Amino acid sequence: MTFEPKIVGFLCNWCSYTGADLAGTSRIHYAANVRIIRVMCSARIDPTFVLKALHDGADGVLICGCHPGDCHYSEGNYKMMRRYPLLKALLADYGIEKDRVRLEWVSASEGQRFADIVNDMTERVRALGPSSIKTALATDMAER
Amino acid sequence: MEDLKIGVYVCNCGTNIAKVVDCDATIESASRLPGVAIARPYKYMCSNPGQEMIVADIREHGLNRVVVAACSPRMHEPTFRKALQQAGVNPYFLEMANIREQCSWVHEDGAVATEKAKALVKAAVLRVARHEPLERRSVDMCPDLLVIGGGIAGMTAALDLADAGSKIYLVERADHLGGNLARVDLTAPYLDSARDMLTDRMTRVVEHPNISLLLNSEVERLEGFVGNFQATIATKARNGNAADQVATVDVGSVVVCTGYKEFDASRITHYGYGKLPNVITSFEFEKMLREGGVETKEGKAPQYVAIIHCVGSRNLEFHAYCSRVCCMTALKYAHEVKSAVPGAYVSDIYIDMHAFGKGHEDFYRRSSEVKTLFLMYAKDDYPVIRRADAKDDCEMLIEVNESLSGETIEIPADMVILMVGMEARDDWADVAHLVNISGDKDGWFIESHPKLDPVATTTDGIYIAGACQAPKDIPDSVAQARAAAARILGRIAKGKLEIDAVFAEVDEDKCSGCRMCNELCPYTAIEFDAEKKRSHIISALCKACGACVAACPSGAIAARHFTDAQIFAQIEGVLA
Amino acid sequence: MAIRANPKLIEELETYGAQDVSKCYHCGNCSATCPFSQDPYILPRRSMRSLQMGLERKLEGDLEPWLCYYCGECSQECPRDAEPGETMMSLRRWLTSRYDFTGISKLFYRSWRIELAAILLVAMLTGLGFFLFGLSQGNIHHYDGVNAFLPGEKIHFFDWGLAIVLLVLLLTNCARMWWFTIGRDKSKRVPLTAYIKSAYLLPMHFMTQMRYAKCERKRPWVIHLILMLSYVTMLILIMFFVKRMAAGPAIDWRVHAFGLAATVGLLGTTIFAVRGRIKKTENHYKHSHETDWMFLILLIVVAGTGILQFILHRSGLDMAANITYVVHLMSVVPMLGLEVPFSKWSHLAYRPLAMYFAEIKAEAARAEARASQGVRAPQAA
Repeated sequence: MTFEPKIVGFLCNWCSYTGADLAGTSRIHYAANVRIIRVMCSARIDPTFVLKALHDGADGVLICGCHPGDCHYSEGNYKMMRRYPLLKALLADYGIEKDRVRLEWVSASEGQRFADIVNDMTERVRALGPSSIKTALATDMAER
Repeated sequence: MEDLKIGVYVCNCGTNIAKVVDCDATIESASRLPGVAIARPYKYMCSNPGQEMIVADIREHGLNRVVVAACSPRMHEPTFRKALQQAGVNPYFLEMANIREQCSWVHEDGAVATEKAKALVKAAVLRVARHEPLERRSVDMCPDLLVIGGGIAGMTAALDLADAGSKIYLVERADHLGGNLARVDLTAPYLDSARDMLTDRMTRVVEHPNISLLLNSEVERLEGFVGNFQATIATKARNGNAADQVATVDVGSVVVCTGYKEFDASRITHYGYGKLPNVITSFEFEKMLREGGVETKEGKAPQYVAIIHCVGSRNLEFHAYCSRVCCMTALKYAHEVKSAVPGAYVSDIYIDMHAFGKGHEDFYRRSSEVKTLFLMYAKDDYPVIRRADAKDDCEMLIEVNESLSGETIEIPADMVILMVGMEARDDWADVAHLVNISGDKDGWFIESHPKLDPVATTTDGIYIAGACQAPKDIPDSVAQARAAAARILGRIAKGKLEIDAVFAEVDEDKCSGCRMCNELCPYTAIEFDAEKKRSHIISALCKACGACVAACPSGAIAARHFTDAQIFAQIEGVLA
Repeated sequence: MAIRANPKLIEELETYGAQDVSKCYHCGNCSATCPFSQDPYILPRRSMRSLQMGLERKLEGDLEPWLCYYCGECSQECPRDAEPGETMMSLRRWLTSRYDFTGISKLFYRSWRIELAAILLVAMLTGLGFFLFGLSQGNIHHYDGVNAFLPGEKIHFFDWGLAIVLLVLLLTNCARMWWFTIGRDKSKRVPLTAYIKSAYLLPMHFMTQMRYAKCERKRPWVIHLILMLSYVTMLILIMFFVKRMAAGPAIDWRVHAFGLAATVGLLGTTIFAVRGRIKKTENHYKHSHETDWMFLILLIVVAGTGILQFILHRSGLDMAANITYVVHLMSVVPMLGLEVPFSKWSHLAYRPLAMYFAEIKAEAARAEARASQGVRAPQAA
């Protein structure tokens, strides 16, 4: 059986969540691996959310916000944009492959783009296999 | 705290959800989750019986939390919140699981979709257990308005609102009212004059005591929130030396009616626009009509007039959408040419005849009765215009691969009218940014809901009307303008307006006074209490983006309804 | 190569009786209802389209108008009242004038006054000619015998003379029809065998009008067939048995039985048609061109005077019979001389020819298909 990765998606309410809804109203089919959690703005996405998701068994985390310049709150997405490299550096230190966490801009009119991103990310994470944190935690548990 | 009693409702949405997601299995899995007291499916949860079912269950079983697994919360969250409120439960004790737009409509495999639906329901159940009761805030609603754009839509909205007693600031960039409609001669399908329609309205706008008309003006800045915006308007000085006048006004709502611009016909090289003197655009032809004579550049009455539809519209290279008004306008030209030059032959070269509106089909019929030659061409298979030879009795020849006959024909023309489509104004993105709304891929402003709320936008208090939302004819623009006016009047009538209870709060015990959050807030809603050395959030200004929450090193700021605990619960749920 | 469209053609066709052609928006209801609309002939939509666009040369070469019998179902089904049936009729008139090299047909169809004047002129000249001829030859008080006013054998000569002139005119027109519809299309080569193989179709369609029987309603076909057979019977009687017909006063049943039957057929059907056109009982009677009326009136006068002179002669009223005979000839000569080559009677020739040509074209297409298959076969092997 092929490995079906679990991916948590954090989407901002105004652009990306609406874009994901548009993919639905447009009946664009895409992989079922991403489970979406709505936040008001990508700036709300605390790095601990990502860590929590990876810890709880996610094989990947997708973060989506408005395109630069389009933020409903003027510049929330820039805050996420600045936070993201720090987060990536931290994850690299933990030995988490860079393809497991991804930041993308999806506007309210980009249903197709959202579907394409989900499909692409699912394939990449599937190629990486299950997250090493998951196996490490499992070994850890077994050793205890 | 009392025991959790969660009710879970899974909507079939007719077959929209049920044909992909196994709703019974989803119910079964939800019923085993902690705190779930009741789990039920229903055909249409948003219907009255569906809502009444929730109300009855709350009253009968003492439910204190509700999860509705149905469509997107962007669609029906307010509906179900009202149901909770009706049953006497705090409306924020609701959580929705989006199993339609983000599940049944995007997945084909029933088993996979059902698993995903179960996870989304579990996340909602875990989250709702951590919801807190919230109270909506009430703020004053300023009855004054800002209308941007003085075309038919803007004037209509302004007049309706001004008649009802509101003070209107009508801002128009040009030095006159009327917008694109002021460039039009007669209107389809009844051939009545655009000038007559406009003159009456323009006079009323200018004379109306409640309308403050600002010509040669642009909105420079818009701040605040619904009911309480501050708009900065710059008016160009009449003479070059004087400084521009800048004024700031308080308004409660904004109606954006910035209209459209016409497609640049020279972008399609096949038509020779700009090179062949008698190939003109529909707006150039309108000008000719308004000035009273149909004649070629050489001053002759044209014997053959050809009209080409869909110039810039309905093709992949330029705009895929239909511009909606050109078909009827083209038919109007057939009548106008025939009445200006009685012996003229009119060819109407079209892709499909879109005669959808009231009286349009009949107008189409009447246009064929005046002997218009209709020629059909296929999308993206442009007719080609060339200069005729000396022996021909015409100026130009148009080669068309005519679909109805399957023949390639050449049609004579002395004048060619290009039906240029509508496109978003070049500065649509600036306007969108100014009022904090968004545009679609073509630059048309996005409405709150394409069918159920085509007047409001995603930003509360900002409304759109007319062709800035999508290509529209006069009746549709007017209808949308009046709908916007009615929506705004409804809110003004209430005097106060309730705004979302979602905002951020600082826990003063945890705050270290580092002031990191102070600079982050785009609304300057965070002030620093120098005495207490603590930051404090002005709730009326906060729009709940959560930027400060994520940034606070002490974890002292909580985003109401989006707390860390709630989101963590959701993460656990989706990963189950 | 693009074909030059001519938006003015539709106006030319209006002088031939076309109306409302530009109302058609090509929904195709007409073709769906037409029993003759079968590949490659799309009736009547294709003709409507060619006419709207003014594709003159293409229309000239079309057989479609002749394959239509004007049952009128198309006009009834048309959601825009574009009258496709009447358009086909007007195209037949237009084609008749195109096939006719003299230009007379064109004059007649476009001006009923000219046609009427021509008929009256020919009638007067005929009347005058035969009257003087009769006076110079015989006695107005004698219908037959030695002193006959208009002796049968002389009339017989005249018959044949007229027949030869008409035949020459009609054959030239038919040749032009062939040239327009088959001959000048250099892209299609028609094998000689196709002409021979399908030749039987000509007399078959001419005699039976069997194609008309395919229309949903059968009555128009029966009426048309009776008219046709009566006409042909009468033609044979006149051309070959005119002496026996005129002989008397005893009735010669060998010829007169046929003559009487044909007269009943001609009068019955024409009266039916006149009544229909006045009351607009049938779809194809709704629109009447002036030439339709002239044709019917001439036919009634011909048949009426024919039978009248027969009765008068048998009643011993020789002088009255002679005068009626002159009047009969005054209507027969314009009817044959003008209607056969230049107007409605020419349909007699063009319709069977069209069916013959259609079959020849189909045969040529089949031959071409076989040939191209033959070329492909070795490659496949």
